Amino acid sequence: MNRMIIDGLAFALPLFIMAVGGIYSEQSGITNLALEGFQGVGAFTGALFVIMSADVLKPGSLPQILLAFAAAMAGGAVYSLLHALLCIRFRANMVISGIVINILAMAVTAYLTKQLNPLLTGAPSDKFQLGVSMRITIPVLSNIPVLGVVFKDLYLFEIWIVLLAVIAWFILYKSRFGLRLRACGDHPQAVDAAGVRVERIRLWAVLVSGALSGFAGMCFAYSISASFSSAIYAGYGYLAIAAMIFGNWKILPALGACLLFGFARSGGNEIVLLLQMPGAYADLVMILPYLLTLLLLVFFSGNNQAPRALGEVYEKGKR
Amino acid sequence: MEYMVEMRHITKRFPGIVANDDVTIQIRPQEIFALLGENGAGKSTLMSMLFGMYEPDDGEIWIRGERVRITSPNQAAGLNIGMVHQHFKLVQNFTAAENIVLGTEPVKRLFGALPCFDKQQAEQQIRDLSHKYGLEIDPAKRISDMDVSARQRVEILKMLYRRAEILIFDEPTAVLTPQEIRFLLEIIRELKDQGKTVILISHKLEEIKQIADRCAVLNHGRLTAVRDVKDTSTREMAALMIGNELPEPMEKKEIQVSREILRVEHLTVENKNHLPVVRDVSFSVRGGEIFAVAGVAGNGQIELADAIAGLLKAKDGGIYLNGADISQFNVKRRIVSGLSYIPEDRQTTGLVLDFSLADNLILKKYGREPFSRRGILNPDEIGRYAEELIGRYDIRSARGKRTLVRSMSGGNQQKAVIGREIDLQNPLLIFVQPTRGLDIGAIDKIHRQILKEREAGKAILLISLELDEIMKLSDTVGVIYNGTMTRISDAKSLTADQIGAYMMGVKGA
Repeated sequence: MNRMIIDGLAFALPLFIMAVGGIYSEQSGITNLALEGFQGVGAFTGALFVIMSADVLKPGSLPQILLAFAAAMAGGAVYSLLHALLCIRFRANMVISGIVINILAMAVTAYLTKQLNPLLTGAPSDKFQLGVSMRITIPVLSNIPVLGVVFKDLYLFEIWIVLLAVIAWFILYKSRFGLRLRACGDHPQAVDAAGVRVERIRLWAVLVSGALSGFAGMCFAYSISASFSSAIYAGYGYLAIAAMIFGNWKILPALGACLLFGFARSGGNEIVLLLQMPGAYADLVMILPYLLTLLLLVFFSGNNQAPRALGEVYEKGKR
Repeated sequence: MEYMVEMRHITKRFPGIVANDDVTIQIRPQEIFALLGENGAGKSTLMSMLFGMYEPDDGEIWIRGERVRITSPNQAAGLNIGMVHQHFKLVQNFTAAENIVLGTEPVKRLFGALPCFDKQQAEQQIRDLSHKYGLEIDPAKRISDMDVSARQRVEILKMLYRRAEILIFDEPTAVLTPQEIRFLLEIIRELKDQGKTVILISHKLEEIKQIADRCAVLNHGRLTAVRDVKDTSTREMAALMIGNELPEPMEKKEIQVSREILRVEHLTVENKNHLPVVRDVSFSVRGGEIFAVAGVAGNGQIELADAIAGLLKAKDGGIYLNGADISQFNVKRRIVSGLSYIPEDRQTTGLVLDFSLADNLILKKYGREPFSRRGILNPDEIGRYAEELIGRYDIRSARGKRTLVRSMSGGNQQKAVIGREIDLQNPLLIFVQPTRGLDIGAIDKIHRQILKEREAGKAILLISLELDEIMKLSDTVGVIYNGTMTRISDAKSLTADQIGAYMMGVKGA
């Protein structure tokens, strides 16, 4: 049971911060299917940093982990500029742009990993080996009966995600910038008439989604896969999009959806272990979150309200 | 300073047309200045340039005696120019206060440091402003929960919040009921008394007569006249507006109604959230009768029409056409049973915009001979038929039957829909907002067409938001309020004001 909660959180929180990025982008009116690609490129950048800094920074040390996450955010953000450029500047179809960006990310990072590995590590491999990030247990809090387990064996990044999410929540719902961002996704003409530049706000929103997705990708690389390889493109980005939609494009409900996905996955794993089923069944468990998504789609899709101007290319002066 | 606003020799071209051709207008401080003209005459374009949405190709704009270049709405706001657009620019899921302050939001510091949007202060500011100008709104209410006239007040407050002195209203009364119109005109007069300069774009002559000091008339992009309103009759204004003699006033012949053609019994329709939008509505329409449904937008009249035509499924009740219950029929069977439908939105429901005119004209007949045989279309027959309808209904377009419908004007698109539906020769015609967005000339033609069908003995169900239209055409009026048919009366026994009162839900007026 404890294992299930610990593993469930470690999967759900990265998904959540990625969904928050998606919410920023889509609340500003930019359809974002590119989360998958952003998180992959972010993880690649972070992992590349870890490999390259191996001589300078102690592997697995706090400074290295911190800087790796910073690099992942930067990588995701820079790559997301491509989506912003296509959707905002060149008025491309946002769905197609998102999908192309995902395919491109996978191809380019797999290729680069293969080419760079012999140069950097001297060994031909299509993986950057990372190891697993350090885990901590928060003293006092983890001793609370029942609920304490939430504070046990936390990856460092889980704490950072909570901090990032609080900041993201505050900016989106309480700040001027957030107000304007949400207005852009509903009625960009109104924002323009109020003298605010729609394009600029949308650019920032996409950059935030890139940075947060990059962060999430690094979380996966540092936990479940312990490496960077093309296996990182396992559809987590799409799962985050599903969480965003089930959460009705709002931050807190999206957290609920992510927790559901996380616990479905870890709970399935637990059952496989408990019943001592052969290893092949563990792979079967991996499909649980996706199956759950299909089920939730049936029940929850009707009442959701997407941002009104979502996917609408904004042209200044259009009446 | 003699003039508040001067637009001198303004010319603006768009691909294919000259929207404004050497137009000069001069507006005095604190006057209500009306811009008159038909659709496409260039009124909105002219004002869009004053508001910075476009720049003129030629000509000068002077504000308070100084020459200015206005390149953005922001700059216009800086010159104290505000505009209420015909289509409101409001964020639906924001409150009134959030919408009004957007772009210049008050900020407070949380814990002395974190800047955040100060919602309380915004709401207080808007409350004060709304009291000052007598524009009652609830600042904390969401736009999506407001009716049209409240939304309009929000738009007006938005201008006032930005300290606008020159207020442009683009067709502000198009969407309002008579009572709301009177209230709005009162507000506009009040704004004038408070020292504002008002520019009113309109084609409703009665209103201009009531409220404006001077008016300028535009016709096909040219300024044709500037007049003092008090010395000009509405008939004269109308003649200036369409640029030639007015059409003969329409004559509605007394004719004998025949048997009942459509009967609706206890019809209830639900929307997708399972809330009833049409509640237990019953009425009947006879041959040679125009039955008009009057109501404020959103009171269930569209759903009523859609349910009769078969686009929406009725929850309960019967629909009888020539005595046969068609309520379980699909759309196609209803058409064949004798129902023609001119829907509210010609562009999405009435036409396939990217099909040619000819293909659109056979949209409800393509399966019948001679237009197709064993599933193969016969282009020769289709073309011949299209040319026949184009001639008979005077549908004008650049390339005749081959024109893409998307490129046609709204009036001609509507003529195509109406021609197609009338030519089905069905005994029942349902018109929903048949003249929406059309100009006087086109409206006149369509009204004549409707009366002609009445004389031919058709049963006509007319659903309209325009009271003028209902008063002019209907034999019987049914008022719909909140999904219920609250009153059915002979049209001659009601005045427009009485109908307006019923539309607002007033009982026993």
